[in-house]
Amino acid sequence: METVSFPTAYSTLTFHLTEGIGLLRLSTPPSNKMSPLFFREFDAVINQIKDAPLVKALVISGAGRHFSSGADLSLLMEEIIRNDKLQDGQMEQTIPESLVGNYQSFSALEALPIPVIAAIRGVCLGSALELALFSHFRFCSEEAVFGLPETTFNLIPGIGGMTHMLELSGKTVALEYILRGKTFDASEAQKIGLVDQLLPRHNLLPVAIDFAGKIPANYHPAKKGRYLKNYFKHDQT
Amino acid sequence: METIDNISWEIREKIGILTLNSPPENYLARPAVLPLETLKRWTACEGLKGLLVYGAGKHFSGGGQPEHLFRMALSGENVGQDITAGKAVLEHLENLTIPVIAGIRGICFGGGLEIALACHIRFCAENALFAFPEVNHRILPGLAGTLRLTETTGFPRALTMILGGDMIDATEALEMKLVDQIVPKSELFDHAFGLLKKMTHDRPLSVIHGVMNAMHNARNLSREEAMKEETRIFCMLVREEIRRTHENQEP
Repeated sequence: METVSFPTAYSTLTFHLTEGIGLLRLSTPPSNKMSPLFFREFDAVINQIKDAPLVKALVISGAGRHFSSGADLSLLMEEIIRNDKLQDGQMEQTIPESLVGNYQSFSALEALPIPVIAAIRGVCLGSALELALFSHFRFCSEEAVFGLPETTFNLIPGIGGMTHMLELSGKTVALEYILRGKTFDASEAQKIGLVDQLLPRHNLLPVAIDFAGKIPANYHPAKKGRYLKNYFKHDQT
Repeated sequence: METIDNISWEIREKIGILTLNSPPENYLARPAVLPLETLKRWTACEGLKGLLVYGAGKHFSGGGQPEHLFRMALSGENVGQDITAGKAVLEHLENLTIPVIAGIRGICFGGGLEIALACHIRFCAENALFAFPEVNHRILPGLAGTLRLTETTGFPRALTMILGGDMIDATEALEMKLVDQIVPKSELFDHAFGLLKKMTHDRPLSVIHGVMNAMHNARNLSREEAMKEETRIFCMLVREEIRRTHENQEP
């Protein structure tokens, strides 16, 4: 089996390509917190994948026990006010380019023409859940924990989490979960439409990779339901 | 408590309660529902964190009375103007930046259903009944219910309900996503009120407004623009949070 890694060295994530399936791992365990550097590297790797015809599908996962506990809030907050200081007394409030960039790289991920599958173990909170929501498929292990806890820090989910949750779970659930900032388990995540498939922990990654490999070449995200039905009807033991 | 055009307003624990208050059927006094200025004044109350729309007595509302409308038209009143005013009232309700829940028992017809559809979340009791009976009077739902129902249930169901003019019950309403949850009649008020409290009580207003604005943007703006706005709101809240932390640190 041939495994290819992209030549660029990343320090917050890893990317390996095996038989056409790319495996992207957030790798700053244990919490795989998403730092500003992670967001820059993530943007770079998505751009590489976009231009790499060899990558036929992408699986995103976390190194170690968890997917990710989300953005590093203190660094993020620093970044936002650092910009303000450069304004030199002017009250004009700009949006740091890096934050717009975060949304743009998540959007680029979503727009990839290949299947994108988030394989979620352990915690998946805040921006990490937002990242998962920009993926086309979400599989998780039975002990996974989800949440958009931003409002409990007097903030809101800032990278498209609300829009996606609104689309997937409807207004009532989205409003309640986001305003309360409450965390929820895997079966609840499935019930409210955020997760497509629950799997035993040891099976999660192998199944996600196998599933990715079985999606036909004329992939279209709109046929999502059909791919899931076909695969989990025939292939899962 | 203040009552205008058969609609009462009070605030309990920072939650506004708008009661359709002309039992038994809670008919609306006029197509415009109530003056926009009144609704604006009520909802502008400082510190308000949520809103519950409820019906006095056994029902939510039987809506407007078509005879009124026809009488208005015959006596030369500008019905169109009143309908336009009603649209603005419901639009104001829909665009409020605090969560709005409708608690629906018994009948919810015509204008009553229009009001319910302008709310963000709808809970109903098992005995709730929904209809747009306007076609039976050879008119149509005039307060943008045709648009809101289509958005809520999809085109086929909305068409069937509006053109058929038939009544549906709570189970059907839940199935077609016209309501979000069925709650026992005796618990409906407390359930809706309780959810509003749970969602908002330890959140600063700026966060509630931020979340609601982002949600509205998802409906009113392009996806691209909505996402940008979300980032802008996020940055604003971060600055506010940093300011708050600094202020707390100062002696």
